[in-house]
Amino acid sequence: MHLAMMKPGQQGKIVHIGTAVGPIKRRLMDMGVLAGEPVRVEKVAPLGDPIEVTIKGYNLSLRKKEAEGIEVEVTP
Amino acid sequence: MTEQTPHTANDAVSSAAPRPLVVAVAGNPNVGKSTLINAIAGTRLQVGNWPGVTVEKKEALFEHNGRKIRLVDLPGTYSLSPYTQEEIIARDYLVKLRPDLIVNVVDATNLERNLYLTVQLMELGIPVVMALNIYDEAEAKGYRFNLHGIETMLGVGVVPTSATRRSGLTELLDKVLETAAQPADHAPRILNYGDDVETAVALLGDTLRREHPALFALYPERWLLLRLMEGDERLRQEINLAQDALPEEIFHHLRRGHGEDLEALMADARYSQAAGLAREVLFKKEERRVEMTERIDRVVLNRFLGIPIFLAAMWLVFKLTFDLSKPFGDWINDMAGGPFKHWTTVLLGLVGAPDWTVSLATEGVISGVGFVLVFVPVIFMMMFFITFLEGSGYMARAAFVMDRAMHAMGLHGKSFIPLLLGFGCNVPGIYATRTLENPRDKVLTALLIPLMSCGARLPVYVLFVGAFFPNNPGTVIWSLYVLGIALAIVMGVFFKRTLFRGEAPMFIMELPPYRMPSFTSLCLHTWEKGKHFLIKAGTYILAVSIFVWFLLNLPWGVEHKKDSYLGQAGQVMAPVLSPLGFGTWQAASSLITGVIAKEIVVGTMGEIYAPKKGEQKKPEASFGEDLQEIAVSFGKAVKESASNVVSTFGVSSLAADEKEDRGPLKATIQQTFTPLSAYAFMVFVLLYMPCVVVAIAMRQEFGSWKWFGVAFAYQSALAWGMAMIVYQGGQLLGWGV
Repeated sequence: MHLAMMKPGQQGKIVHIGTAVGPIKRRLMDMGVLAGEPVRVEKVAPLGDPIEVTIKGYNLSLRKKEAEGIEVEVTP
Repeated sequence: MTEQTPHTANDAVSSAAPRPLVVAVAGNPNVGKSTLINAIAGTRLQVGNWPGVTVEKKEALFEHNGRKIRLVDLPGTYSLSPYTQEEIIARDYLVKLRPDLIVNVVDATNLERNLYLTVQLMELGIPVVMALNIYDEAEAKGYRFNLHGIETMLGVGVVPTSATRRSGLTELLDKVLETAAQPADHAPRILNYGDDVETAVALLGDTLRREHPALFALYPERWLLLRLMEGDERLRQEINLAQDALPEEIFHHLRRGHGEDLEALMADARYSQAAGLAREVLFKKEERRVEMTERIDRVVLNRFLGIPIFLAAMWLVFKLTFDLSKPFGDWINDMAGGPFKHWTTVLLGLVGAPDWTVSLATEGVISGVGFVLVFVPVIFMMMFFITFLEGSGYMARAAFVMDRAMHAMGLHGKSFIPLLLGFGCNVPGIYATRTLENPRDKVLTALLIPLMSCGARLPVYVLFVGAFFPNNPGTVIWSLYVLGIALAIVMGVFFKRTLFRGEAPMFIMELPPYRMPSFTSLCLHTWEKGKHFLIKAGTYILAVSIFVWFLLNLPWGVEHKKDSYLGQAGQVMAPVLSPLGFGTWQAASSLITGVIAKEIVVGTMGEIYAPKKGEQKKPEASFGEDLQEIAVSFGKAVKESASNVVSTFGVSSLAADEKEDRGPLKATIQQTFTPLSAYAFMVFVLLYMPCVVVAIAMRQEFGSWKWFGVAFAYQSALAWGMAMIVYQGGQLLGWGV
């Protein structure tokens, strides 16, 4: 399961930053998107993309395309 | 980056005094770093660009307690990784120019993520003083900090600050001086990355010391080793180290225990350190309460309300930018064209200056200066509102809401605002592209802005529509705006697939909490920008204005406009335009002068087609009366500007542009154009090269003429092609009669 599949309000934990490479991967890691980190999907933009998540206590937005590369497991 | 010392020329003057203390200011975006620097340095800030790039550089030289301090603001970054322009600038500055001290501005309400950068700054071995900013807000949220704990655990000085309330600033500077006085006692602590990493670091250190001992004189040791550990390509190439130069056994143990991805391992280790520190020094009650930002976002980013609210906000920004500034722009224009020209003529007449100098001074110089000044109000207003949108946190939301639509054109959510401003005037639009971080997005947006039909093109439409389409003027003008937008979409996709192919765009952006920006900081920022425009762009525009004066008036003593250099250029250009339906030297000459500003097309046409009979002599006004008029009309401008805020939306500019009597001109162009060629002409005016001021703005923002060259080339081709399709296509369909 990847981050773009999660619904607003759902919480999860990042398992792996999978397919992202180079600058995108590094940027994600620098923003705190790391394996083991809890994440919560807050909103989807009115036009359906990008999405907003809470991670490390702040709000981050990213496109679905980028979120698709991030493997997560949903926590209840 | 080019070679450069942090201690620049000014210092040589006061060589007897100790050189200034060089303090670099580093921090994440959205932590109030600019506000803090504005609060400390005020108007002593010097704004420029980092060499060779479009990223803004701020510096200030001032004294605190008798010690000279040079403050250098580094771009806001989340990390010192080698990818984004901002990060490369920050790290090159820190590593190569080695400031005496780093002030790390940290958002106290978001300690952990901010400490991730702090940890990296500490690796440089330069003394760090932490400004724990937004401290008041953090305390109000119930956060408590163990400041002494931070100092002892990190080995950095800590001062709580609140930049918007200007508190803690003196203490911060005191701490900076205190730390700088004993740098040896204030080395940041060396943080432990765990046994496995540390063993590998030690091995790597031994290898490098043996084989490349010179490196340690050039780079901070710990930083060099840690960066090489995580596989920093940029650094490896910089020091000419082959990919396989480092023995594999250094990493072998590490890879076996922690997996292949050392970059992730190091990022993880740094974040663990940040998290550990935050846990030790920050006490907060763990209760999830709905905060103001969340409440606002529930409405502002709502699935149904999000877009209407965004459009309303944009409409407001657009209206305020242009309506508030227009009366002042008009006032400056009237003053330059009225009293100032008048006085200059009188004064030059008194000293017996020849006629041509009078003409050069009034038509060339004063018109040029006036032309520069006319832009000042709109640039100031635009900067004010853009800075407000950014500082308040709404800019990120605007990007979030619009990104899907903009991304389809290969743009970024933040591209919307520069494009929108382009409808008022392309120039502030170009300057507004600096809100985009990625150079690719910035350039692509700027290239499309000239397709937004600006206010200066409207007088041309009004003239031609009045002469040829009096029955449905609105529809015809509207069609031109739509054509511009449609072509922007097409060109956006085209550029995405050609010029910018292969460049991965990304949208990984923080949505910062809403905050009220400080008014002083807003004004300072606006002032810096306006000043920058006046000095840099002003010089170029003045030069061009004088050049055009020569074109119009040389060879000296020309009787007929046709014989001036401009007329001659028009005659050369005319055949190129004949497939478009307006291959006359008059039309061509008007288009040439329109390069200064597209509304000038109308003025030139007026002079060429329907010259005024005899010189209009202004009644002799005294200086006293003129001064009075200046003051009175300024008062009117203030009033008009204020009333514009409350007035409802109306197409006021349409009416305003008709104030001059264009009757004779309309009659003449009705004889030389057909409705079809008139429409083709309007299409051409919409699309052909951006005006001089846009060119200069592009040059200023991108550091070279390259992107203006691209805009010039594609727009010329597009203008010619579209006008040709309209005219020839129309003729085929039998509309040409």
